[in-house]
Amino acid sequence: MDNALTISGLTKTYKDFVLDNVSFAVPNGAIVGLIGENGAGKSTTINAVLGLIQKEAGYVSILGNEEINGDTKEQIGVVFDGSNYPEILSPKKINRVMKNIYCSWNEQTYFRLLKQFSLPVDKQIKQFSKGMKMKLAISVAFSHHSKLLILDEATSGLDPVIRDDILDMLLDFVQNEEHSILVSSHITSDLEKIADYIVFIHEGKVVFFKPKDELMEQYGMIKCGAAQFDALDQSDIVVYRKMDYEWQVLVSNRGKMQKKYPKAMIVPATIDEIILLYVKGGK
Amino acid sequence: MKGILIKDLYIAKSNILVTIVSLIVLGFGLSFLLEISALLVLAPVASTTAVFISITNDAASKWSKNVITMPVSRSQIIGEKFIFYILLAVLGIIVALVPCIVLAFFGIDITFYSLCLYGSIGMSATLLAGGISLPCAYLFDPEKSQIVFMVSFMASTGIIAGLVLLVNVFIPVKDNILLVFHIVLAISIMWFIVSYRIATRVYQRRDVT
Repeated sequence: MDNALTISGLTKTYKDFVLDNVSFAVPNGAIVGLIGENGAGKSTTINAVLGLIQKEAGYVSILGNEEINGDTKEQIGVVFDGSNYPEILSPKKINRVMKNIYCSWNEQTYFRLLKQFSLPVDKQIKQFSKGMKMKLAISVAFSHHSKLLILDEATSGLDPVIRDDILDMLLDFVQNEEHSILVSSHITSDLEKIADYIVFIHEGKVVFFKPKDELMEQYGMIKCGAAQFDALDQSDIVVYRKMDYEWQVLVSNRGKMQKKYPKAMIVPATIDEIILLYVKGGK
Repeated sequence: MKGILIKDLYIAKSNILVTIVSLIVLGFGLSFLLEISALLVLAPVASTTAVFISITNDAASKWSKNVITMPVSRSQIIGEKFIFYILLAVLGIIVALVPCIVLAFFGIDITFYSLCLYGSIGMSATLLAGGISLPCAYLFDPEKSQIVFMVSFMASTGIIAGLVLLVNVFIPVKDNILLVFHIVLAISIMWFIVSYRIATRVYQRRDVT
């Protein structure tokens, strides 16, 4: 089993949205970042993977199983945006609940993480800040020997310090080669920091699924005027966008393009810029 | 399933305590006005409100979504709510029996017959209402399901009256009141089981987001 998660041809139709033939994989020991604008289909993909919604077509293999059963769920840690635990409960009560849900629940790990995050054990969750709730959800996800972590917008709305703590934990988690993470986020800087692969979803379709290093090291943006733009070979353009005073052109091989167009100003493209060009640009 | 039952008990704890105290106080208070065993009609119905508090809470906190990602099947999630409902109804009956037993010690006339009769009516109403409202709690949004919850208790009294009239066609009610209400209770139990099966089937394919 090379992949912790394999998704192939995943399709789901709603009245006003279609998740169309989504395919990508989460290799063992890797962090895969799922990016896309609001409503692009990130959460729908995650919900279909977790069996929260019924898929119409496609194939999902999770930790080697096509059916997501109880044994598989034991090994998956899920963190959604918000705590998703009854607010009346305290972390101590959640321990009692989880102890009776997960066979592999590790009380020591859970309380160690609560201590590490300085979370009060007896305080009701409703008195927690958003960051504290997120830390609690992460503590739960880490306390039942998960092999695959799935995080849906788990770091959105958190301050940079807490986000950095969480990102460090995620990086620590994948030090074990059997562990993998699928993380959806709007905060592309977080993914630039930790992800090994990037999946970009736009209007329900996967635009690209590439190693992050390839995107960061090979992709580039040519900023040029109209005459220089006209002189570009169309096959070299991935996407382009016309701004007020310049053209922005995304190219997939920065080095090769620099040799081909020595006068062109080609700069490395950030993930944010790549997304913006795909979403707002043309081809 | 034990874990989610513990979670529901934590959520409903204060509500259960308030219901227990209210039923005991009401029982002693009513004893001056009415036949105390009539409390058995009200007790199971009143005590099951905690289930709907837990369902509303699950929806509000998005626990319903979270729990599906845990090693608990959808049929276990539904089954737990039905079991929780039954447990609370039985707890209601037990609590209502407390003032009955205490007052019986003080010489108030309470017959086994009346306890069985009112107990059967109370449990029948509770099971019929639960059989209507529990599946609806998973079909509709929280606001609609709360309306269904309130309507279901009124509907259950109508259904009981209808069932009694129906049984009366075969067995004269006047001479066999207890037997007739036991038949109604048996039908209510069957309805509750059928309702559980329907709820499980519906929830199995439902998108939870």
